[in-house]
Amino acid sequence: MAETAALDRLVELRRDYPVSVHGVALSLGSAEQLDRVHLGRLMALIERVEPMLVSEHLAWSAIGGNYLNDLLPLPYTEESLDVFCQHVGEAQETLGRRLLIENPSSYLRFRHSTIPETEFLTETARRTGCGILCDVNNIYISANNFRFDPVAYLDSLPADVIGEIHLAGHHAAEDADILIDDHGSRVAPPVWELYTAALKRFGPVPTLIEWDTNLPALDVLLDEARHAQELANIHRYAQLA
Amino acid sequence: MPSLLELQLQLRGAVLGGATRGLVGEIERDGLSAEARLRIYRNHFVATLTAALESTFPVVCRLVDGRFFAYAAHEYLRQHPPQSRCLAEYGAGLADFLSGFEPCKDLPYLADVARFEWALNTAATVRETSPLEIEALAAIPPERAALLKIALQPSVSYFASGWPIDAIWLANQQKEVRPVDLASGGTTVEMRRAEEGFSWQRLAPGIFAFRRALAEGLALGTAAATAAADPAFDLAAALDRLFAERLVVGLGAC
Repeated sequence: MAETAALDRLVELRRDYPVSVHGVALSLGSAEQLDRVHLGRLMALIERVEPMLVSEHLAWSAIGGNYLNDLLPLPYTEESLDVFCQHVGEAQETLGRRLLIENPSSYLRFRHSTIPETEFLTETARRTGCGILCDVNNIYISANNFRFDPVAYLDSLPADVIGEIHLAGHHAAEDADILIDDHGSRVAPPVWELYTAALKRFGPVPTLIEWDTNLPALDVLLDEARHAQELANIHRYAQLA
Repeated sequence: MPSLLELQLQLRGAVLGGATRGLVGEIERDGLSAEARLRIYRNHFVATLTAALESTFPVVCRLVDGRFFAYAAHEYLRQHPPQSRCLAEYGAGLADFLSGFEPCKDLPYLADVARFEWALNTAATVRETSPLEIEALAAIPPERAALLKIALQPSVSYFASGWPIDAIWLANQQKEVRPVDLASGGTTVEMRRAEEGFSWQRLAPGIFAFRRALAEGLALGTAAATAAADPAFDLAAALDRLFAERLVVGLGAC
């Protein structure tokens, strides 16, 4: 493990705050063996940080010895479902804990996909016992890019396995009617609305504001977190009433 | 219908800038061409890895300006896409790449600046261990001293260049860059982990040769001999300083 000053800071923060470790490079959807070296490093980090939650993505990012540093889309077929579930199971066994799997934002769909994304996630949870990380911004982006109803997507996720929610900013592509996930701005108003719908359906699960490019002043980030907390509080009061 | 493996190899090709012909027929158009959709992934690959290289090599980037750096990075990542999933480990080969990169041939020191930045970056990832005090030497019988091996901190490395790379690096930490006299000669530098990242110091030739020889695993007597070409080198003083700088972590026989 890279013993950097940043790791020291993380371990210090861990003393006062619960931490959610969010992986981006396990490449659970690759049609080849899991990278045991990377998995070992992830395990060492988890042993050090003792996070409350550990999550990864419904995606792939490496093949044939190259790491492509992106969450690339999978065709949703029986073959990929088998591969994906096998890797989730293997990773959970090695790490000795349950993973949450996040729905991706995507910019293309494969013609030979036969399984709707929510069904793919639901079946993965059923077969492997993993939970689902519901990224509300990703749902909004994909719904815009592929013209589907984001609330219907939320409604078809199994509420009992949602373990975490993500919110983030996105931007519109310059030359096409496409939204692009960038974690580089405030959460957009329609994404806050969708978050309210998610709270209604899933209850107040731990929520993270993702902001890792074009970093803002700390106050701006805290303001976003406060807003998420307010919406969760409103939901709680509504439940009590 | 392609297998998952075939599809992923094709998509890898497209992300790395290769042909997309075989893949286009597999992608739903959904109101936008398959090529335009693939370009989004391709652009993400180039933009994020260029940014990763910029953060590892800020001085190289400043020396050639951001636009030229982006061009060089683009060529580098096309020829040497990442193999490790750890982004901080990407760029180990950039110095070698730049030394053979024709458009950089007017900046003969550039590859060594990259080598310097890479070594600093590496030093920052290795934790130091508890150092030994100089009293530990008392346990070594004098007749064994010449064959003694001295283990140094695991983060330490030694850097030599025919160009004043440390002066170039320092000048580029300032907002206004002062000119550096390239004819002022080469440099010999020691780098190591520090509290908030890395630190480095320029060493006199004798001390540099001595410490580098120890780091390479040579015995004390041999290391002292490599330093003898520097008339200013004094073994007792060099040993004192080695311990005082908390560099020694182990003593062992040959």
